[in-house]
Amino acid sequence: MTTTTAPAPTAQAAGRPAGRPRLVPWLLRLHRPALYVWAGLVLVLAAALAWLWGPLTDAAAAAWRQYDACDMNTRCSYDQDAILRYKDVYGYTTFAVTALPFVVAAWSGAALFGRELENGTARLAWVQSVSPARWLAAKLALPALLVAGGTGVLVTLHHLAWTAGRGRIDTAKPWTDDLTLHAGGPTTVAFALAGLTAGALVALLSRRALPALALALCVTGAVRAAASWALPHLWPAVVHRSGLGTGYTSGGLEVEHGLITTGGAHIADPGCGPTTIEECRRLYADLHATAFYTRTHPYSHYWPLQLTTTALVLALTGLFVLAAFRVLRRTTGPAAPAAGDTRAEAAKGTPARAGRA
Amino acid sequence: MTDTGTALRAAGLGKRFGRSTAPWALRDCTLRLPAGRVCALVGPNGAGKSTLLAMAAGLLAPTEGSLTVLGEHPAHARPRVGYVAQGKPLYPQLTVADTLRVGADLNPGRWDAARAERIVAAGDLDPRARVRTLSGGQRTRVALALVLGKRPGLLLLDEPMADLDPLARHELMGTLMAEAAQHGTTIVLSSHVVAELEESCDHLLLIGGGQVRMAGDIDDLLAAHVRVTAPAADADLGGHTVVECRTTGRQLTALLRPGGPLPEGWRTFPPSLEELVLAHLRNPQAPALTPAPAQSQETHA
Amino acid sequence: MLEYRIDRHSGVATYVQIVQQTKQALRLKLLEPGDRLPTAREVVEATAINPNTVLKAYRELEREGLVEARRGLGTFVRRSLGTAPTDDSPLRAELDGWAARAREAGLDRDDVAALFTAVLDRHFAAREEHLQGDAS
Repeated sequence: MTTTTAPAPTAQAAGRPAGRPRLVPWLLRLHRPALYVWAGLVLVLAAALAWLWGPLTDAAAAAWRQYDACDMNTRCSYDQDAILRYKDVYGYTTFAVTALPFVVAAWSGAALFGRELENGTARLAWVQSVSPARWLAAKLALPALLVAGGTGVLVTLHHLAWTAGRGRIDTAKPWTDDLTLHAGGPTTVAFALAGLTAGALVALLSRRALPALALALCVTGAVRAAASWALPHLWPAVVHRSGLGTGYTSGGLEVEHGLITTGGAHIADPGCGPTTIEECRRLYADLHATAFYTRTHPYSHYWPLQLTTTALVLALTGLFVLAAFRVLRRTTGPAAPAAGDTRAEAAKGTPARAGRA
Repeated sequence: MTDTGTALRAAGLGKRFGRSTAPWALRDCTLRLPAGRVCALVGPNGAGKSTLLAMAAGLLAPTEGSLTVLGEHPAHARPRVGYVAQGKPLYPQLTVADTLRVGADLNPGRWDAARAERIVAAGDLDPRARVRTLSGGQRTRVALALVLGKRPGLLLLDEPMADLDPLARHELMGTLMAEAAQHGTTIVLSSHVVAELEESCDHLLLIGGGQVRMAGDIDDLLAAHVRVTAPAADADLGGHTVVECRTTGRQLTALLRPGGPLPEGWRTFPPSLEELVLAHLRNPQAPALTPAPAQSQETHA
Repeated sequence: MLEYRIDRHSGVATYVQIVQQTKQALRLKLLEPGDRLPTAREVVEATAINPNTVLKAYRELEREGLVEARRGLGTFVRRSLGTAPTDDSPLRAELDGWAARAREAGLDRDDVAALFTAVLDRHFAAREEHLQGDAS
């Protein structure tokens, strides 16, 4: 065979400058349908939100003005359809934006990673001139960019639409409404990224598309629930006192409520009721309670709460990414040994080569 | 020692999946595959063939021992190694042409588009056909085009001919051999059927029970063994390495590695490769034959 | 262009089959001096045999002085082989007579073939020697 042997492959490799792998065209080619679906989804939702923001809000606000001007004793007409249309479209779009991170997580766990690990095409990529780590980095980075971009546009539009209705539409959702709060803030972008990376992690762990899909949805749901629960505690809240006779004065996003004792301590409210009831008054006296208190966030805390929660979710996302790389490394071995090892290997070869020459 | 003439070298290589109580998939594997060979990696199912190939392809980290591929760590050798996994995974949603574009995208500076397209064209394949619509033989052809397009110095094929009809098998083996002839590519083909590789391979690596049972150039291995029949009464096998020995009535049949001249009265036959392989697999207690150390001494000289 | 047919079940080593078929082509004047033998790539692409087997056969033919390898160009026929004994050669006439006598003696086709092979094996014992013997 020596007579027909082409130049040694080493010589070929050394002779050509190793270009950079074209990862973006490769990924787009591979996931073209997903890209189209995502673009379509973002466009449709963006159009719906823009419609809500402009015409629907204006129409509904006008209808509410008519309604509020009504004298209940005389016949009065107002555009009820506009009010209902606003309510419906607001509800659907808010739900859709809320669902986006779950859609991303399902796709990531099933199609982007799970299926590839299940049918072996992930290995197909790893044995090209691209290391497994680079494969994972590319498969996370480009979708992350598109997901962040898409959800970013949508939550911005949602925020604008909601703000436009605030104070003009009587039944507009308050900022403390969980769906409204997240759909109109950067937390949803963070949820989507968490879903993407959680999908990658569970797919690498399970190596099956269907379990990865289910697990990715569960993890994303858990992240969202945890974020909702943690959000009020991520920024110092304001304490309001109110007399035992007045009851609680509510407002804003409540963190906790209870009784204040003569010693100034905050204790749990036994939930008895107003002091007009003799029994309750005796109970409060026994507890040495002097007043009710609530710890709440006013609207001015909107952005601090959004940003701290986003940061928390992004930190979690970072952990998912790290874990994914670790799992990948555990299965495929280190991406490459330290540079020192290579030099040592090369050095071992040198004397023999010299001896041959 | 220089590794320019060595495609694959393993020393004490072992792989265990999962916990330390799990059984070894491959253990104590020491071998050297010279460059330019077409090597049959043979062994029963579950012998550790796929594990060895995946480690050589840089897809699995060894649990113990060392492995060098084309003189480098497997992770560094990746651009120069072609690997086709069992079942020949390809992206089912891509067309044949797009699959080759993937090869071009992911192997910058190495991709030989003409070579890949020639291999696909030889199979009369429509470049616009989706991979999921292809037959087993056609898929194998596309998988081969994808690995050969990156101009590998070493080609690792895990059960490439399984589930192919005889015609496709012959055609694809011809394609592989042509590539080996033209480019001097070292090829490792795994199979549990030695007969389907016998004509195409010149080197054998026999694995059984997670260990190397026999390794070397097929001509050398055949020359080192002899099948004998002798009268059972006066047969003294001392001085020879006995791989397998059976006595039927008054006749003794054995497969030997002769340690010296054989007595006059014995009838001797050259064994076929299949006989050799089966005898070694049937008799796990027979000493392994791995000429690797002797060959590495040659390299030193 | 010469095409080799490899019979995997003949029991004859593959490289010997190539050597024999090349010689047959030389005897039948299908190949003449100056003709190029198929490249190893062409042979293995059609037959799926190992390239080294082809090269081994070509080296054998080269050693016998029948072909020469020109670097980068291919392997070329150097000289032709005397034709096989034709119908009217004395050797053939003798064999013909012998076959007739064997038949009269009651031997069937298989008996004759076995006998012939046994004698062949005695006179042309090992294949290596047989090939080298041809060269001289």
